[in-house]
Amino acid sequence: MRIKAYGALVRASVMDFMQFRLAAFVMLLGNIIYLIVIYNLWRAIYASVDNATINGMSFNDTMIYLVLASAQFTFMEAYLVWEMGRSIQSGKIVLNLLKPISYDKYLLFGIEGGNLCAFVVTFIPTFIIVQIITKGAIHMGVNLLFYLAAALFGMIINFAIDFFVGTICLYTESTWGINIMKEVVVLFLSGATVPLAFFPGTLKKIAMFLPFHAIYNTPLTFLTKGEELGLGESFIMLGEQILWAVVLLIIGKIFWKLSERVITVNGG
Amino acid sequence: MEYVIELKNVDKEFKVLNRHEGLKGSFQDLFSRDYKIIKAVNNVSMNIKPGEIVGYLGPNGAGKSTTIKMMTGVLQPTRGEIVVNGKIPYKNRTANAQNIGVVFGQRSQLWWSLPLIESFKLLKDIYGISDKDYKDMLTLYESLVDIKELYSKPVRQMSLGQRTLSDILAAFLHNPPIVFLDEPTIGLDVSMKAKIRNLIKALNKEKNTTVILTTHDMGDVDALCERIVIIDKGTMLYDNDIEHLRSFFGAYRTLLIKTKKRPEELSEEERKSELESVETIVKEDFADKDFTFSLSDEGWCSVLIDESQVRLMKVLNHIQEKMKVYDVRLEEISTESVIRKIYEDAENLKKAN
Amino acid sequence: MKRLGFYISIYRKIIIQDIKSKMSYRSDFIISMIGMILTDISELLAFYIMFLNFPSVCGWTYHEMLFLYGFSLVALTPLQCLFDNNWHLRHYVYDGEFIKYCFRPINIFFYYISEDFDTKGLGQFFVGMGTIVYAWYKLDLPVTFINIAALIVAIFAASLFMVAIMNIAAASCFFLTNSGYIMVTMNKFRDYAKYPVTIFPIFFRIIFTFIIPIAFIAYFPSLVILRPQEIPFLTWFSPVYGLIFFYISYRIWMWGASKYSGTGS
Repeated sequence: MRIKAYGALVRASVMDFMQFRLAAFVMLLGNIIYLIVIYNLWRAIYASVDNATINGMSFNDTMIYLVLASAQFTFMEAYLVWEMGRSIQSGKIVLNLLKPISYDKYLLFGIEGGNLCAFVVTFIPTFIIVQIITKGAIHMGVNLLFYLAAALFGMIINFAIDFFVGTICLYTESTWGINIMKEVVVLFLSGATVPLAFFPGTLKKIAMFLPFHAIYNTPLTFLTKGEELGLGESFIMLGEQILWAVVLLIIGKIFWKLSERVITVNGG
Repeated sequence: MEYVIELKNVDKEFKVLNRHEGLKGSFQDLFSRDYKIIKAVNNVSMNIKPGEIVGYLGPNGAGKSTTIKMMTGVLQPTRGEIVVNGKIPYKNRTANAQNIGVVFGQRSQLWWSLPLIESFKLLKDIYGISDKDYKDMLTLYESLVDIKELYSKPVRQMSLGQRTLSDILAAFLHNPPIVFLDEPTIGLDVSMKAKIRNLIKALNKEKNTTVILTTHDMGDVDALCERIVIIDKGTMLYDNDIEHLRSFFGAYRTLLIKTKKRPEELSEEERKSELESVETIVKEDFADKDFTFSLSDEGWCSVLIDESQVRLMKVLNHIQEKMKVYDVRLEEISTESVIRKIYEDAENLKKAN
Repeated sequence: MKRLGFYISIYRKIIIQDIKSKMSYRSDFIISMIGMILTDISELLAFYIMFLNFPSVCGWTYHEMLFLYGFSLVALTPLQCLFDNNWHLRHYVYDGEFIKYCFRPINIFFYYISEDFDTKGLGQFFVGMGTIVYAWYKLDLPVTFINIAALIVAIFAASLFMVAIMNIAAASCFFLTNSGYIMVTMNKFRDYAKYPVTIFPIFFRIIFTFIIPIAFIAYFPSLVILRPQEIPFLTWFSPVYGLIFFYISYRIWMWGASKYSGTGS
């Protein structure tokens, strides 16, 4: 049974994660300190404009957005490009190709468990803390369900981009350089570094045309603008995500299929 | 100084976390404080003279690497005394390192991206080798193996054999009194193994270097070691020369019998039933004697006989009376089977010592 | 002192060889360099966007913040170029490969760190210098001998703090199984160095000054040049404090290495 094989992969990656005892606590602690820094930084920034709302973002909105973007990063980023680069360079990739599951699915389900754990261990506590600090500024309604769906699709889009970029590693030894470029572009254009709302007009338009904003900006908008979004608008946002996810997965798959030859020709 | 290495009643214990099984277990481990003590090395003593090549043998996880790590000063023994080159290794790790060479399995200690000769030059500086000694050593190396063609090759581009060779040469470069080789021939092909064994032997002869060698390859032992030390589950089982070991087990011989015309064509079950019938026949007449029965790769039935208990010919005659025998072969016991017997039978060994 | 000369001479030789071999992989070199510069540019862009929306951060102007950022980039260069091998430490420890560093008659920390010279850090250096020069010009700061000397000493002190923080973070892998996250988290902290420490409430100001001393990385040293009239007393001690902190981090690293015994086999 296929489902069973995927289940086993997810389970194994959960166990792998739990082995790391203390690391789990540090992850949470790191996020709390990050939260404190971000809180103070933006409080200072907003103090300079007397706590006005800038480009539709109040201090609370910005806080929620940035802190949860970082928490979201911890469960979305699986360092997949690294992983692929490493196994390509060590030749271990050949073993993965021999498995009865296609390589992209093997990777996707292999990281899923760890992502799930990080979601429970870091995202949920961070979410609760943010909610307390901002005195319940996150709207608690159907938008939370939309967030979960959007985060899932965001993760798939992120995975598809990682998989595409990881495939480039078949052609170059420069895993580090490729990975850092990807990370910079994704984090910046997805609005994880600075909320897209603050971007100047043209830059914002460009960012909205690219798939990256669907990774961070879309899910987080469900949390910051939970009340204002109508059902129709929400579904359009999800629809756009799904479209990007499908397109990118297909492109990634085609690129991988075309590139697989490199392995068979060079013998890994 | 009579001994280069002295170990006196050395113990090494590790504290490990008791891991639980399954998904629920991993959650438990997150908070668990349940440790157990593992005795990796238990009351080991030995003395090694300059110029000896000692084979340090034992099954996986027997405590070989732990002992070597203690002798090199990486680990501190829990109890007992270790003196290497007149010094206590873990108290003077760097001073000790100056007087030893180490090759640890397949982990190359050379600079991965540098050409071999650059690694050698760096080692020359690090160990403070004089120009003359360095030159002499390279001349010696060049006379023993074709190393010149490897000089300009980065280690990362070398084959496993070339890398092992380079690592061994690097370990001997500063002419240390002792060299530790941890499974130096692992994963190599037959000709490369022979090359490496010859190299170790030659360097040991030339420089009177003491070599401590761990291996699972009995070919290494036969080719190199005059003395072997065997350890299992942290306890020393045997420490003497290899001849002594062979002579004790010399009374053992292996009788190989072909009971069917083409045993190689038999299925696994059929072979087993052949072996069983041989076993029943032998046992009904020599019930009080000890034998070891096994199948050879070609499907012959093999019987290990202790000739001090019963003559091999007597056993063979008896078998021939009871069943058809197509062919017979006799084998002296090999180092391989001696060692296997030791692992299987620690009791016998106490008598041998 | 003779020992020091010995280490310097060996270090020089290793670095030269390492750079030579790195240069032979040209495409990797160029891609890494671009990646590095891109990272810095995206941060500059983030600053730019922030100041499009907000006039100042806690009384600090755009150009002052740029100076702070440029300063932190330059101070980062030694860490990036010379101590980058720390990032691989946990893999070596996890695989049991670290044992190979224990058999040489030289200091393990030195031997391990000397193995890798990261050329891409140089890209960061140039972006940082460019930013400092630009901000210096825009802020109309005087170019005097004292100012330049102060800048160099300040950068040196700041580098020590950066290296020390990452040393400790890397050493955590001797004690924990998967400490990758600690390095990533610490690396992020180091990032906060580019903000003025005055934005924090007093409790965190104390933490960031004495416990995780990121205030010393860019803020205190930059004050010497930007606002010499406002310098807190402590700033003058930052080179000394940096040396002490570096030494502590070195001891922790070495302690971890001596605890290490190679997993398995």
